[in-house]
Amino acid sequence: MTYPDPDDPARPARPSVRPFLQSGPQAAGGYRPSSGVESPADERTTTLRPFVITSGRTDGADPEIGMETQVTVNQAAIPMRLSPEMRSIVALCGEPLSVAEISARLRLHLGVTRILVGDLRAAGQLDVHVLDNETPDPETIMRVIRGLRAIT
Amino acid sequence: MDFEQSPNHARGTARVGNDQPKKAPVPVKIIVAGGFGVGKTTTVGAISEIAPLTTEAEMTAASVGIDDPGQAVTKTTTTIAMDFGVLTIDQTLKLYIFGTPGQPRFAFMWDDLIRGALGALVVVDTNRIDDCYPAVDYFERAGLPFVVGVNTFNGQMTYSLEEVRWALAVRDDVPVLSFDARFRASVRDALLVVLDQALDKAIRAKST
Repeated sequence: MTYPDPDDPARPARPSVRPFLQSGPQAAGGYRPSSGVESPADERTTTLRPFVITSGRTDGADPEIGMETQVTVNQAAIPMRLSPEMRSIVALCGEPLSVAEISARLRLHLGVTRILVGDLRAAGQLDVHVLDNETPDPETIMRVIRGLRAIT
Repeated sequence: MDFEQSPNHARGTARVGNDQPKKAPVPVKIIVAGGFGVGKTTTVGAISEIAPLTTEAEMTAASVGIDDPGQAVTKTTTTIAMDFGVLTIDQTLKLYIFGTPGQPRFAFMWDDLIRGALGALVVVDTNRIDDCYPAVDYFERAGLPFVVGVNTFNGQMTYSLEEVRWALAVRDDVPVLSFDARFRASVRDALLVVLDQALDKAIRAKST
């Protein structure tokens, strides 16, 4: 399933995140979207065991930061002490990279990655390119269609 | 610069980082959903320009309070693996294809996943049609455009497309098609149908 990347610039200090706990309400709900509108509160509808690398935070992830959200290094960032995981993230983002790719390449749990990316953004180390409008517009979809048709 | 501070400035077009030295592409995504072993990863791999990557979430199902790293926890730890691929449309536009498990217990992930998604392809194995019910249920309720794609991975289908449509009882405007997850052109065509649905929805949304 996984494709180890020999060119990994850096591995996290730990091989994997400590397993966390899924408990509570979503088990009962089935496959229902949690609400009609996407509100930040959705982030908290699952109770997860606190993450280790994030100092126990599980719900600090900015809802704006999606899996496909593009991240780049802030060139003007002031150097600062960072955890090994954060350093690894910054090292990867010389070129625009999605949060999901960061997670996969560093073998960091997706939820942890989102929180750390949010922290690095707040610390001014990363630029997180949040879309002004996340509802797909027809023009963009047309471009995707043309692009897909072009491949063989 | 003050004139740019109007309250409406942040809304509207899907621009990113216009002040950034390095321009990041606009990401769009399509979800590939279905039960285990129906060919989601094959589908993603067929269309992606990179070998599919996996992002994982590990969660402990039953070992409440147990915290012994020395012990194998295979029985109590569930790994949610999501495979995804990338297709660069052009310098400013990237398509991400996320393959996601269709099991009910993973449903909590989907809220995050479908935010901003163009649409979904629900992959079906005719030998185990009911595996895709959770995904169909979910996308119907979420109002995400989706297409049912019967994977003819084994070169055969136990049921015809009409029978699959009957079993799923999807609305008439939801396309039910067959495709072969192993072949890029076949996956591309299936995704184009998803995009047609997405375009319809986006145009309807714009005109109202």
